[in-house]
Amino acid sequence: MPSFFRNKRLILILISIILLVALIGFTMRDRDNLTWPEEFLQDTIGGVQTVFHTPVQFVTGIYDNIKDIRQTYEQNQMLKARVSEFKDLLIDVKQLKKDNEELRKLLDKQENMSDYEEIPATVIARSPEPRWFKQLTINKGKRHGVKANMAVITGDGLVGKIQSTSAVTSTVQLLSGFDRSNVIHGVILGGEDDKDQYGLIEAPDDKQKDALLLKKIPYEAKIEKGQTVVSSGMGGVFPKGLLIGKIEKVVIDEYGLTQTAYVEPAADLYDINHVSVVDRASYSPSLDEPPSTSKEEDSE
Amino acid sequence: MKRLLLPLTLLLFLVLEGTAMDFLPKEWLLADYYIIPHWVLVVLTYIAIFYDFDSTYYCVLYGIIFGLLIDLIYTDMLGVYMFTYGLVIYITHGLKKLLHSNVFVTLLLTMIAIVTADTTIYVLYSFIQATEMVWESYILMSLLPTLAANVLFALVLYPLLPGKLQEWSESQLKRSNAI
Repeated sequence: MPSFFRNKRLILILISIILLVALIGFTMRDRDNLTWPEEFLQDTIGGVQTVFHTPVQFVTGIYDNIKDIRQTYEQNQMLKARVSEFKDLLIDVKQLKKDNEELRKLLDKQENMSDYEEIPATVIARSPEPRWFKQLTINKGKRHGVKANMAVITGDGLVGKIQSTSAVTSTVQLLSGFDRSNVIHGVILGGEDDKDQYGLIEAPDDKQKDALLLKKIPYEAKIEKGQTVVSSGMGGVFPKGLLIGKIEKVVIDEYGLTQTAYVEPAADLYDINHVSVVDRASYSPSLDEPPSTSKEEDSE
Repeated sequence: MKRLLLPLTLLLFLVLEGTAMDFLPKEWLLADYYIIPHWVLVVLTYIAIFYDFDSTYYCVLYGIIFGLLIDLIYTDMLGVYMFTYGLVIYITHGLKKLLHSNVFVTLLLTMIAIVTADTTIYVLYSFIQATEMVWESYILMSLLPTLAANVLFALVLYPLLPGKLQEWSESQLKRSNAI
């Protein structure tokens, strides 16, 4: 009789290991859509999270608020000085925008890779597994027009992309959690010689935890510390011109053929509360539905 | 209605885990330490010790269900937390039969549960994702801070939870046994 029980236990453990491997195998594929039970549970728990997030945020925010108040005077002085600078800049920008529009009209070119619409959202949870899954949950989903692979920004710059969506919540993959299968095409805005350099943004390595890697920069390119990196729009996923960060240092890669730059993210990846999901306006063949439907209707 | 109290408590801690990162000062997050809240596991250990009898396995069932929920909501990989929590709680339930429950035994069992669970999760993830974190840095940077933070959490819960759990256990399990 005892041997029977021991066997039963053994079989149970074997079955659960098989189940584990099967589930992991099922979820490890690159999936764009969640199955409906997953969506249902994420939305349900997302609702509960929304209820709890606000009071918790309030309590934990008190410490930060006190710190802020103590620095207010200094900040105010500094900001006042900068506001006058911005006034001049604003006039310039307005002028340039107008010029740009007029010139575009002249060329009859309406689409622009840097055009996008923003969907504002609030963070309702952060994954408690910070070693591997650098994820956030936000309170906007398919119903609000959020789709997988859209860029997510804060006021300071790019923070990540939408990984998966359900009806009213979505999961955001932070920049620091990007792996080799999702890279961003970035551009280093020209420095002294006024020439832009392109490269691929990859996940940070273990040695320098907070810096992103910008790989495959041509060997000859002269890059200096402090140059700005923005998204190039060439990947077809993100619109052009989203601020990613600043160059921290540049090294030759392990094969000696290209350069790798360490990029300090412009946005704070640890303290995120409000984000905007970016819906790019230009059409991308690999991600969007083909825009041929209107033509077909016309011909009929 | 009373039967729902236990799952609801677990759900509460599951949701609070998602806000746990807000409780830590930002400077700690920027440092190289990874503190992972295993609050659901701590509550499950309490359930194993104070709620379940030797012959009932509610804790393992809840472990599997809430492990799956954690997998669903906070990670991309299904199955890892489900398997780990189920296994660890089963072991805890077995160990509890051998020891008489008091503060020290409870803390000891919680510590064993956290260490086993965190290590199992690390091993499973390093199989799948080929994480570059090596053993030494995992133990120093992740396991020890995680253990300390979660034991602290278990200590905070100790005056509140066990009494309630025993109360629920007596009112719910005895009756079902009688039937």
